[in-house]
Amino acid sequence: MPAHNLSEDVSDDEASFAPRPVDEISDAESVDEDAVPRQKIEIDNKIALERIRNTIRLDPSLSWTETLVVSYPETIDVDVDDDLNRELAFYKQALHSAQAAKSLAAKHNFPFTRPSDYFAEMVKSDAHMERIRQRLLDESAAIKRSEEKRKEREGKKFGKQVQMEKLQERQRGKKEMEERLKGLKRKRKGALDNPQEDDDGFDVEVEDAVSDRPTKRARGAGPGGKKLPRQVRDKKFGFGGPRKRAKQNTKASTDNFEPRAGGGKGVRGAKGKGGAKAGAKRPGKSRRMAARSRS
Amino acid sequence: MASVLKAQKINASKTDVKGKGKRKAEEIDEEDVQVPAPKKLKNKQRVLLLSSRGITHRMRHLMNDLEALLPHVKKDAKLDSKNHLHLLPELADLNNCNNTLYFESRRHEDLYLWAAKTPNGPSIKMHVQNVHTMDELKMTGNCLKGSRGILSFDKSFDESEWGRLTKEVFTHIFGVPQTARKAKPFIDHVLTFSVLDNKIWFRNFQIIEKDPLQPNGPPQMSMVEIGPRFVLTPIRIFEGAFGGATVYSNPEFVSPTAVRAALRGEKGEKYGKRKHAEQERSERKEGRRREEDELAVSKVFA
Repeated sequence: MPAHNLSEDVSDDEASFAPRPVDEISDAESVDEDAVPRQKIEIDNKIALERIRNTIRLDPSLSWTETLVVSYPETIDVDVDDDLNRELAFYKQALHSAQAAKSLAAKHNFPFTRPSDYFAEMVKSDAHMERIRQRLLDESAAIKRSEEKRKEREGKKFGKQVQMEKLQERQRGKKEMEERLKGLKRKRKGALDNPQEDDDGFDVEVEDAVSDRPTKRARGAGPGGKKLPRQVRDKKFGFGGPRKRAKQNTKASTDNFEPRAGGGKGVRGAKGKGGAKAGAKRPGKSRRMAARSRS
Repeated sequence: MASVLKAQKINASKTDVKGKGKRKAEEIDEEDVQVPAPKKLKNKQRVLLLSSRGITHRMRHLMNDLEALLPHVKKDAKLDSKNHLHLLPELADLNNCNNTLYFESRRHEDLYLWAAKTPNGPSIKMHVQNVHTMDELKMTGNCLKGSRGILSFDKSFDESEWGRLTKEVFTHIFGVPQTARKAKPFIDHVLTFSVLDNKIWFRNFQIIEKDPLQPNGPPQMSMVEIGPRFVLTPIRIFEGAFGGATVYSNPEFVSPTAVRAALRGEKGEKYGKRKHAEQERSERKEGRRREEDELAVSKVFA
């Protein structure tokens, strides 16, 4: 065989076009080798597999309750990297199998559900389950805490806004005030030019202009304002008449023994109660010193 | 060898005729009501569970979880040697086990699982990945220790020949027989096996039949995961127990060592390129250097 091949090669070489394709082929082969280092030999001896399965397989007449095998009639067709959907598919498979098994168990009169008074050792110990519970609690607490923090942060942001507004408001007020003052200056320019026209330079008008709202007094007592009538003024401010004998005894007051309505001093010790009331006396010196040192 | 081939051929011709009918019968058996036979057949399985030396804590915990879940498991001491797997069938025989689960740890990081029927095979070698044990606090389910779990296989197991064989072997190993000494009489969890991305995904769910939020409402079944969880990549199926002819090999399987080596190689390549560039640069610099002349800085400002 090799000899024959050789002779063929030689004859190919003699032809002008022959060497090229040979080279190309070898090149392609070497590239291929780089890409796939070694093709693995696939073995799938179906006949042998089936024969082996037949040798080991359980007796088909075996009751279902001996093996508890359930087949899920669907294949799992999800993206492997999509954790959530993958686990969901497994969950669905388990749920379907459990339901199928329950109905099968009912058919076979096979106890399925554990009665609530059946206690036995569990796979995970109570201590471990407690740890799991604690972790769940911790997790929910952490979520709550972070939520609160977030809210607080947002509140802070909002608070900042409020502060900004306040500052702006203050600045606006200042500007307004300056404008008002400027306006006043402009108004009073003539007055400043000939000051003898009205003599008091200190006028209320400045204060009025500065304050947010002009005072009522200024309006009431202004040059154009009306005076209240005499009687009303007397009532409001008091009659300016005799004052000096107001506290003197009169005939009536001398005869009057009633305690005064204002609850003045009254008659001392009239009932003994007054004495008790006045009992909040200044304590003695020693006591006062003691109280001081205590506090 | 020739006799084996002949036997296979005969079997094939048989199965061509009979295969379908048989499988149909099996399905009916699974789903239909069985009239209690006079002589009750029993499913007798015992599993030897052991590991090689050099397993990490996570692998050990996974083994402990399996032991807790499967009451028909007999745990044995670590196997000293990785090259004498033929000892395992004898060991299983000594322990009266007809199945073996053997965890093999390589380089303290890769875990392989052998699932074998012991005296006569077959044995399946798988690579274990993504191990989460029951100790993790994220899985909140719980179940009775030793209760018999339902085995749930998805449809893809029935679609390939290796899948059917794997299903059979797993049924023997993970299905708790009714007669197991420590088995409990009720069912409260499901072991699911699903094929996805040519890998077998294992999950364990607790069955909750009553909604805890409305205990008096209509019974609604829900699931809570108990753990452990892991993913098995089938590598090879051998005819015998821990040996024999390969009847199936997964062409897609790339050993984790190869993956790591490729990564390292990539890194090394980068380093080599950088070093090469450095050297070239220094050579170029050397080539461009000018000779000393009288106007050199060092001479002018001496």
